[in-house]
Amino acid sequence: MAGMSATNTKKQKAWTPLGVIGLFFILIFAAICIAPFLYMLIMSFTHSTTLMISWGDVNFTDFTNYEHVFGKSGFFRSLMNSVIVVGCSCFFNCVIASMAAYGFEKKHFWGKEFLFKVYMLTLMIPGQVTMIPVFIIMKKLGLLNTYFALVVIILNAFGVFLIRQFMESVPDELLEAAKVDGCPEYKIFINIVIPLIKPVLVSLVVFTFVTSWNDFMWPLVSTTDSSMYTLTVALSLLKTQYQTNYGLILAGATVSFIFPFILYAFLQKQFVEGIALSGVKG
Amino acid sequence: MSRKKKEALQGIIYVLPSFILIMAFCIIPIFMSGYFSFTSYNIMTPPKFVGLENYERVFQDGYVADAAKNTLLYVLMTVPAQTILSLVFAAFLAYKMQNKTGGFLRSVMFIPVIASAVTAGTIWRIILNTEGGLLNNILNFFHLDSVNWLGSTKTALISICIVAVWKNVGYFLVIYYAGIMGISKDLYEAAKVDGATSIQQFFKITLPMLKPITYLVVTLGIIWSFQVFDLAYLMTGGGPGRATVTLVMGIYNAAFKQYKMGYACAMAMLLLLIVVIINVIENLFFKERKGK
Repeated sequence: MAGMSATNTKKQKAWTPLGVIGLFFILIFAAICIAPFLYMLIMSFTHSTTLMISWGDVNFTDFTNYEHVFGKSGFFRSLMNSVIVVGCSCFFNCVIASMAAYGFEKKHFWGKEFLFKVYMLTLMIPGQVTMIPVFIIMKKLGLLNTYFALVVIILNAFGVFLIRQFMESVPDELLEAAKVDGCPEYKIFINIVIPLIKPVLVSLVVFTFVTSWNDFMWPLVSTTDSSMYTLTVALSLLKTQYQTNYGLILAGATVSFIFPFILYAFLQKQFVEGIALSGVKG
Repeated sequence: MSRKKKEALQGIIYVLPSFILIMAFCIIPIFMSGYFSFTSYNIMTPPKFVGLENYERVFQDGYVADAAKNTLLYVLMTVPAQTILSLVFAAFLAYKMQNKTGGFLRSVMFIPVIASAVTAGTIWRIILNTEGGLLNNILNFFHLDSVNWLGSTKTALISICIVAVWKNVGYFLVIYYAGIMGISKDLYEAAKVDGATSIQQFFKITLPMLKPITYLVVTLGIIWSFQVFDLAYLMTGGGPGRATVTLVMGIYNAAFKQYKMGYACAMAMLLLLIVVIINVIENLFFKERKGK
């Protein structure tokens, strides 16, 4: 009987002409999704300044373009800047957002639900609306061209929203029990709450990493000193520095892409879960 | 101190760091933006109150008119395309390919999402190059004429739109896929018993059940598209002429190239108004749906 039902389900999933057409389109789209990145990788190993891929020019053992990108254009400094900014963004976003989420979900104080609504409203404000006054504040305080300016803009209410949803699942009884046992408040937060919300923290790290790594407009306006450029700004400038040296520009693009890509390869599930969670609950 | 008071104090201490940040870098700046939009301000000299002058000038500015037109066209081209493609692909993957291959395809389609707009713009600018760009090489291979993708006023904006759709589909596909997986299987079983074809099932079950998600996808899509900057800046820089200038590019130029902070803030406030209106409309739709 079991065998029969198996063949039945198989029959229902048989490929109809419509299904074949659908499969055809989806395969084409998937190919278009990946092809530009393969092209980028391959072309980053050529020296030709024309764009026709000639396989003769491609030499995968020749890292001249990469050496040049790192050696001369200050690209390495930008890479380090991005690593520092992303690292700090992820760390501070996790700390500040999980503290706030814990306060909102597990503590009671006057006006907290109203305040949380205000937090949610700030999420729909376009970044450009706040960018100009923040630029002016930073300029007046002499904080342009600092890591502080690059990091602080990344920290927003999204993390609070994301972690608070997860915080609901932390049982109140557990926190009560710890309190009864005389565990001090800060230890409850660090030793009990944080380990329990680890999965959502990983999602937040992934999110913050990609947002911060890919941020362009704010680094573009807040850094005027080339030693403070982040990777996206440095990459956007390669095009003006090296006009038609496409191999070199694409080597830069490959470097900027490889970090989020590696993270994605390892933490695919967290990427997808983070988006699905923010999306479905909206 | 009573226990209740102590707990309230603890709560406030936990929330305080985020509160300070959000006040200082989001809420107060909104009011500053609102104030500056009524002033003439170049950072060096103190802001000078000029009433509605900035707003009047925004509506007379030919650059802003072009930017508004391009941005609207961009929204109208990208949002429907990315919504429909992501929905159809998600439905197909959920019903026909819930296996390893399907999972692999979903992963592949998400790759453009994780690349920065700068990376994507850099690659595509080179692929779309008129002389010897990959796409024109492919066209020439099939004996078709080269197209000046980013250099012609006819094709520049649409090229940026296509790249934007390419970049966004994977993101919305993930949202739709999660939504479809959440629909009860019983509905489809019942429909199958009644002899409904898969197309009928899609229009009678999937589509209506996904309505809230579609609202979200469309609203997010519209709001993000109104803020387009990175891709256009990287691929064309606004050209040729003003063919691909966008509203945010207008804000960027006014604020950070010409240091007309008041004027830029007026544009930013109008952008905020657009976003607020879109959100209000979305909420109205939602309420209407819930009412039914």
